[in-house]
Amino acid sequence: MRLTLNRRETELTPAPLERLSDTLRAQGLTGVRVSCSEGECGSCTVLIDGRPVTSCLMLAAQAEGTSVETIECDDPATAALQQAFIEEQGFQCGFCTAGFILTARAFLARTPDPSEDEVREALSGSICRCGAYPFITRAVLKAAASLRGAA
Amino acid sequence: MTISFDPTEHDHVGKPLPVRDAREKVSGRLRYANDLALAGMVHGALVRSPHAHAKVLRVDATEALALPGVVGVLTHEDTPRTVWDGCWFNYRGPALDGHARFAGDEVAAVAATTPEIARAAAALIRVEYEVLPAVLTAEAAGATGAEPVRDEGNLREPYVAEWGDLAAGEAEADHILHAVIDHPSQQMATIGRNACLADWEGDRVTVWTGSQTPSELKTGLAMALDIPQSKVRVQALPTGSSFGQWWSNNFMMITALLARKIGRPVKIELSNAECFATVKRRHKELSTGRIGVTEDGRITFLEIDHVMDNGGYGFKNDVGFFCVDNWGRAESGRCTVRAASTNLVTAGCMRGVGDVTLGNCVERLCDMAAERLGLDPVEFRLSHQLRTGEPLRHIMGHDVPEVAQARSDSKAFRAKVPADWPEPFVLSSGSTAEILREGAAAFGWDQRFVGWGKPNHCDGEIRRAVGVGTGIHCCGVELEGGTAATVRVNPDGSVKLHASVGRHGSGAETTQVQVAAEALGVTWDMIEMETGDTDSCPWSHGSIASNTMYRTGFATVSAAKDAKRQILEVAARNLFNCDPDDLDIRQNLVHRRTRPDNERYTIAEVLNAVRSDALGQFSTVIGRPTEAMPPSTTFARHFAAHFVEVEADVGTGEIRLLDYLACQDSGTVVNPHVLMNQVIGGAICGAGFALHEELHFHPETGAVMNDGFLDYKVLRSADFPARTQVIFGNSHDSVGPYGARGAGEAPIAAPVPAICQAVFNAIGCWVDLPMTPERVIAALDRLGHTPH
Ligand code: FES
Ligand code: FES
Repeated sequence: MRLTLNRRETELTPAPLERLSDTLRAQGLTGVRVSCSEGECGSCTVLIDGRPVTSCLMLAAQAEGTSVETIECDDPATAALQQAFIEEQGFQCGFCTAGFILTARAFLARTPDPSEDEVREALSGSICRCGAYPFITRAVLKAAASLRGAA
Repeated sequence: MTISFDPTEHDHVGKPLPVRDAREKVSGRLRYANDLALAGMVHGALVRSPHAHAKVLRVDATEALALPGVVGVLTHEDTPRTVWDGCWFNYRGPALDGHARFAGDEVAAVAATTPEIARAAAALIRVEYEVLPAVLTAEAAGATGAEPVRDEGNLREPYVAEWGDLAAGEAEADHILHAVIDHPSQQMATIGRNACLADWEGDRVTVWTGSQTPSELKTGLAMALDIPQSKVRVQALPTGSSFGQWWSNNFMMITALLARKIGRPVKIELSNAECFATVKRRHKELSTGRIGVTEDGRITFLEIDHVMDNGGYGFKNDVGFFCVDNWGRAESGRCTVRAASTNLVTAGCMRGVGDVTLGNCVERLCDMAAERLGLDPVEFRLSHQLRTGEPLRHIMGHDVPEVAQARSDSKAFRAKVPADWPEPFVLSSGSTAEILREGAAAFGWDQRFVGWGKPNHCDGEIRRAVGVGTGIHCCGVELEGGTAATVRVNPDGSVKLHASVGRHGSGAETTQVQVAAEALGVTWDMIEMETGDTDSCPWSHGSIASNTMYRTGFATVSAAKDAKRQILEVAARNLFNCDPDDLDIRQNLVHRRTRPDNERYTIAEVLNAVRSDALGQFSTVIGRPTEAMPPSTTFARHFAAHFVEVEADVGTGEIRLLDYLACQDSGTVVNPHVLMNQVIGGAICGAGFALHEELHFHPETGAVMNDGFLDYKVLRSADFPARTQVIFGNSHDSVGPYGARGAGEAPIAAPVPAICQAVFNAIGCWVDLPMTPERVIAALDRLGHTPH
């Protein structure tokens, strides 16, 4: 099947019922973290045509013809979020981090100037068991400000 | 935010430096165990018992072995009967012994070329069982004629801490109050699943897995495999969130055994359901307590009977109930912990063990007493909680002869302790006093607390009220001792710190480097740290019991100072021609103390001067701890005081957290960023326990029924207040590195009593845990009227 993976035309041959998360991880994209495998935690989030999707619930075949982006994709908004997550320490163990950053990236694309509560709500599909939420929220607000400044 | 010292006196300690692996974490490049693969590796899957309790009569793997891709099968027949012990009695048992002690217990394992084939093969292995009666509660475990879960019997020796004259305390009390609190079992509910890889070269095995306790895992593997420790190398990797889940776990032993049996590297990756239902959890704990107070507010006695279940393989007889220390001004007390084995998944130390549960009972009793007397809960804590220098009521290992001896002859014992160290058997530094006072002021407690059982705001069915709770935990356990670290300075002046700690998000890989850099006088970019390789790191307890900063940090600083001494000796002899004591190192440069800007050499220059040293030394310096950390002489604790405002809807029973202030006294703050994260992370996990978290066990099989995030609710981003604040206390410990103590566990203990109290103040009654809407409504129904 053909798709755009991290902005490159790519040809993949997943097994018939393979989940997208497994296909991507098999490509060496370790930033696609799989935790719950049931769509509840968000750690496996990737962007499909710019929308956040839990890749553990999606069949790889469904991604045919789409543009799939992972944390490994070079992107200014991702970079701004990564920098802000480092500065605000928006993580502890780091397992959930890529999922939060990609969810936040899609959210900021729609809502460039969010309130704190909007950020907290927008990220509530994901779980950070370490409980870094307040620092994640700050990081997203900080990245939003820097992206607005850059725009 | 207050910080406990003048940060300008330090180059690294006290600085909010970004954690060492931050870039790897945000880029998805950090390697967890499930990211790892080995050449020629095959995949393992586990066969698990469907029964709570059963003997394995026969394992028939014929069909499984016939499946294309299957490489081999491991059963109890291939497994040494040696028992392996997890640290602090979190596990005791052989890796496989043909006896299933809970539904989900491992009975066999199979290896195949892909994980899918391995799982399919596991389903084809026919196991014939003799089903035994199941013991599903601690109460049933103690009943006469109860089926033994383990050869040692079901009941552990009761663990008792007592002080003062309880009978007199009871006689003197004007009021006696009772509480019974049923604490459900909390699941670590890890994000990130663990995997284990094992590879044998001859008779030597290397194991890669996520673990907080690399050395303990090496010890456990040597026991389970019945081989010398020199034949085992553990390469511990970062875990996802852990909270005590990933120490040494039985599936790791099985991975190594399976790899040995089939002669190929094996990887076993647990599913999320396996992480939830087959590894570990917090004990189910039933606390029954009484407290006696006089009209003028003295606590004359405190008595608690605490029953906990160990599940199938836990072997603890106590939970580290430092909460009793915290309320140690009570004039007399007795705290009894009774532990029983059950046919439920193994229970063990989850973050804040004991202080989350038993601590909640102690705090509840004290709150009930304060309410009866009409006293303010902050003031009541200030009056009755222990202060620096006061004797501890409960000494871990008080029944160990050498500890008993040391206590009875404390003068002679004192003489062995460095003069600037605290008195033994008393609280070494810090307390809740300062953080309670500062917290109350910052929170506006006096304005927002309007009396027991009274909301400060009512609007229709909405009631708002505040609560305060305190938490405490150890900083490593006194008797554990033995933790070491080494500091190797290379010929180019770069440094490698070897200390075996966990990488589960607590920032130890960063804060250890900070204290090492400070002690050695180098910039922190010069230091790399190895945390997980047991071939290079000396033995250590690992990151458990909040010991990493206090104990490993002590060893790290001591090793760094030893390396520094060696460098200065070389420099003094070869370059300065002076006494080493006249020299110092700062910012990687060796210089005279009195004239730092005059003559300066890099560490590389000093070490290269050694190449021609007539004494024939080497140009690599290895520092090791020179000061022992006597395990039983210094008693450090860390403290939390949390303030919360909740909103209760008496119509729906829903509780919302509106505002949160977490105050923490950990002594010197080595990295404020890291500590804030620990404090808030603890608060959120504790709040989850107060409000939602509870494992459900099947009534017949004891199997965990809510084995995933779909049915096991944890707090999410919008569930924790945006208004969240952290305040650090100002104490300094004369033993801990630069005055620091432990950090990670008191913050999960304080939120439970704080939120319970706030809910009580909002709706006028105590609610069972977790305080789900149904339980809130049930409590209101028992109260018989809508409050206020
Ligand atoms: S792993 Fe996909 S949502 Fe949890
Ligand atoms: S950082 Fe550990 S789960 Fe979020």
